[in-house]
Amino acid sequence: MLVTWKYRIRDTFIQRLDPRTRLIYMLCIIFAITLPDIWDYRIILPLFLISLTLYFLARIEWKDVKRAWLFIGVFVFFIVGLNGVLSGRGGPDSVTNIPSPVLFILPLKIPFTEIGWDIPLTIAKLWFSMVQITRMLTMAILAFPIPYTMDPNIYGTAFKRMGSSDKISFTMDLAFRFLPTLARDFSITMDAQRARGYEMDKLRGGIAARLRRLAPLIIPVVMQSTVTGEEVIDAMDLRAFGTTPRTWLKELHYQPRDYMMLAFGVSILIGCCVLKWGLGIGEFFVPDFFTILFVK
Amino acid sequence: MSNFPLVVDNLSFRYRTRPELAIENISFELKQGELLLIAGSSGCGKTTLARCINGLIPRSYRGERSGSVLLHGKEVAEMQIPEMAQIVGTLLQDPERQIVASNVYNEIAFGPENLGLPRDEIVERVELAMKRLKIEYLRDRETFNLSGGEKQKVALAGLLSMNPSILLLDEPLASLDPASAHEALEVFRSLADEGKTVILVEHRVEDAIETHPDRLLYMEGGRIKYLGTIENLPSEIDHTQVKLPAQWVVKRVKEQKKPVETPHQHKVDEGGEPLVVFEDVSFRYSEESPLILQNVNLKINRGDLIAVLGPNGAGKSTLVKHAIGLLKPTSGRVFIQGEDTRKMSVAQIAKVLGYVFQSPTHMLYAQTVREELEFGPKNLGFEIEPMNKSVAESLSTVNLNGFEEYPPLGLSFGQQKRTTIAAVLAMQSKIMIMDEPTAGQDFANYTRFMDALCSASIDSQSILSANFASTLFITHDLDLAVTYANRVLLFGDKHIVADGKPEDVLKDTDLLLKYRVRPTSLLRLNLDLLARTKRFLPAESLAAFSF
Repeated sequence: MLVTWKYRIRDTFIQRLDPRTRLIYMLCIIFAITLPDIWDYRIILPLFLISLTLYFLARIEWKDVKRAWLFIGVFVFFIVGLNGVLSGRGGPDSVTNIPSPVLFILPLKIPFTEIGWDIPLTIAKLWFSMVQITRMLTMAILAFPIPYTMDPNIYGTAFKRMGSSDKISFTMDLAFRFLPTLARDFSITMDAQRARGYEMDKLRGGIAARLRRLAPLIIPVVMQSTVTGEEVIDAMDLRAFGTTPRTWLKELHYQPRDYMMLAFGVSILIGCCVLKWGLGIGEFFVPDFFTILFVK
Repeated sequence: MSNFPLVVDNLSFRYRTRPELAIENISFELKQGELLLIAGSSGCGKTTLARCINGLIPRSYRGERSGSVLLHGKEVAEMQIPEMAQIVGTLLQDPERQIVASNVYNEIAFGPENLGLPRDEIVERVELAMKRLKIEYLRDRETFNLSGGEKQKVALAGLLSMNPSILLLDEPLASLDPASAHEALEVFRSLADEGKTVILVEHRVEDAIETHPDRLLYMEGGRIKYLGTIENLPSEIDHTQVKLPAQWVVKRVKEQKKPVETPHQHKVDEGGEPLVVFEDVSFRYSEESPLILQNVNLKINRGDLIAVLGPNGAGKSTLVKHAIGLLKPTSGRVFIQGEDTRKMSVAQIAKVLGYVFQSPTHMLYAQTVREELEFGPKNLGFEIEPMNKSVAESLSTVNLNGFEEYPPLGLSFGQQKRTTIAAVLAMQSKIMIMDEPTAGQDFANYTRFMDALCSASIDSQSILSANFASTLFITHDLDLAVTYANRVLLFGDKHIVADGKPEDVLKDTDLLLKYRVRPTSLLRLNLDLLARTKRFLPAESLAAFSF
């Protein structure tokens, strides 16, 4: 049986929005940043502040989300951020092509070998890393509150009313609930294996050996997910899902606030496209005030 | 159109992957408003028959089918799914497997939505189904937060909203506490009285007869062995294969005049230090959440074979998770052999206390049974020699010799369950804890399984007493407590409400009912004969004491 996220009704502006509005607005922002490939902090920063405002308007309690934030923090700061600082890749070519003062050289070496590289850490890479983190967070903090603030009963309806087929809409409904179900199964399996003396913090050996030692957790969870999937299919078959066009009982209606929000999102998307493709604004560059911080 | 909603005529079926017929020459018909009980042990063909009736055979399960299944005169194999789903509503064994939506209202509306009905009609049907089962108060609840009984009512309402004329109920009592099972049976009877044709597939005949079935169809080896009224059930129906009322078992044993051995009792070593001590234990999952345990005090002694009874969701599993250290008390302390669990890791506690989880699929992962059994001992740092010895002995103990190289996930459910017990046996812990050890098994299988684990003869100990200083199991099945335990804990209202010998705790039937434990015929007969037996006995053994 599939479980749902920790959704709770809160009387907030965000929850009063139609779910379609939230999904479409999020897509507008994602496309506004990625389609015209915006790297200019003067555009990214305001968008980030708008996303942050919307996040706070959702009024999600810290205790509910602190684990998820930890995961996002590790991913964005350590993986994306570190990659940006070290390699400067994953963005425009200008990060590595434009001349930029080197802050210091980081000698990296493969342990027990003579193979290694001297990585120059430039001001451009450092700035790029910060912009990259901000870009990612701008998009992530729009998607992040959805499971906590969107009624799980209208996931499917929202996609259906956005034009998806019955099957795609219900698949999205099930997919939204798959992750918390996976987490529940993982927690039960973890308990069952710990009761057999298994200790995750005692994983030793190389990567292959460590992965093998994770099998007692991964295999039961995968098996359980497969079983759950088959059960859901049987249950849906026995109740005639997918044989005729279905009626979606829940109705959604746009309110003036939804039109305003949608207009705002679409304006941002169009604005970013015009700035980049029409006016040539939005390319990556390192602002002088940042360079001055390091070079006198 | 036929006068019979269901006609099964000379039906046989063989699964594509099996050489033998699963069912053979099955013929019967059902009238409108009739309640048919289908009984038989695992593998008798009752599930295959159910699949032929609800159309999963031939659609989802391939094989050779002969004969016919007619729903209102129309062959099942020729019907479209939406048409069939409106005639036969199938309630699966575990309601969790049936529920797809995240809230109750959506779940009940799911079927009518799939039929593409107009909104007004869907709303009307949902309201009617909720009213019929008196679950209007659940309408906005999340489905995964419901109790077992509530889930089943919601799943049933989901079927009723499709307005089927036949209800096929496949072992619907399996995951319910006794009081919820009783309520469900009352609903099934009333649905038949209202004109629905009800097919109840159930191996617990004792419970199912509460519905006053019009007829019983008893299957054995894929064939009908008996079809008729339940009052005339012939004595050849094997009481070890299906659960019959205790008085019926006694009558059969007397008629058969077979010698019946009286099981020997486990002895409690009251003098020794307790193995596990709960000292004023209270627990809540977070600061905002309500207390699950409140001031629990408990001592587990050597020789204890404890059955923990109580309603669904009362906190029984939470209680035992404290013993293994998976949960730590919010206040109070738990001691394992004198040591505070707060100062011990779960792995350290596992050396003393083995815990078998309810579902084998949450435990089993290895490529072979041997590898599965070596997992625990390896984690606990066993040397190779003692580990091999322990694994071999454990396999032999649960009668899985010869399965060493089999993949555990490819075994039958009963064998998987035994593998999980062997996996804990191999760790050589002193205490065994089992969460619903008989869940998902039919009567014949679980009786054999529990007999093998718990029964001791005069010259040999039981598996449990030979391998563990004490055992504790959580169960919904009161008869397991009556038959196998030497101590019963009744858990409810966040604490232990009764603790003592089965004869002392279970005689207070009012207290049992208060905590949703319904006295069974075996308990009542034992209480009637207690003056002569001096202790609780299985139904067969009572034959020697009854008049």
